Amino acid sequence: MSRKPYQPPMPASWWLKHPAYRFYMLREATVVPLLFFVASLLYGLYALGQGEASWLHYLAWLQQPWVIALNSLALVASLFHAWTFFALFPQVMPLRFGSRTLPAWLMVSAQWAGVLLVILALWWLLGGVDAHQ
Amino acid sequence: MRTNKQDTPQTTPRRSDEPIWWSLFSAGGVCVAMLVPAIALLVLLGIPLGLVSAEQLNYQRLQALVFHPLGLGVVLGAMVLPLFHAMHRIHHGLHDLKLAHGRLAKWLCYGSAVLLSSLALWLWLTVSMASG
Repeated sequence: MSRKPYQPPMPASWWLKHPAYRFYMLREATVVPLLFFVASLLYGLYALGQGEASWLHYLAWLQQPWVIALNSLALVASLFHAWTFFALFPQVMPLRFGSRTLPAWLMVSAQWAGVLLVILALWWLLGGVDAHQ
Repeated sequence: MRTNKQDTPQTTPRRSDEPIWWSLFSAGGVCVAMLVPAIALLVLLGIPLGLVSAEQLNYQRLQALVFHPLGLGVVLGAMVLPLFHAMHRIHHGLHDLKLAHGRLAKWLCYGSAVLLSSLALWLWLTVSMASG
């Protein structure tokens, strides 16, 4: 076969040309600060296994400005990812009860309530209730 | 007469391994949305933001929480699955940005996810086993 099908040129900067493409790339980019988050946890897991002195050193490391900056970025990125991800659920898996479909806003809100619940549960596990009495 | 290998029809189509990577990506996506904000907010940024005290993140409590059998869920949900989630997006991102594509990029991406996940599980297991 010696056909030469026309292949339109596709520069690496294609995603800069439309707001929707830029939004897509921004969402893809949320995993870069996420990798720093996982690295922080890996370091923490290692420090926790090494003993108390090592753990205190880790807590001090967490308070360095550049670490705070990158972890804040990871937090914002995870919330942005959550915002895009939660909107998908009612579209991919609409919940029907009889002839009624659960409204999308309710499903999205329920997922945000889940995020809040996990935060409160972890705060409780870390003795938040005792510490603030 | 043609002996070109590409012209011989394939009798059985090659099964794609994408469902495996996509499932891990998707499960990781749920974890990143549900677990990562809480851990980032309270553990990694808790002290600088003033949400928890250093006393609340003391060694004994964290050791008891993390190396508890349920801590394995945290290792899986906050480290292993997010790693596969991240490396899936990076794999496709490298292709989108025309930086790399093909077998090597795929092996490097998912390979590093496997390697770092194993490291996390190994770190968790060695201490959990030792402390009984």
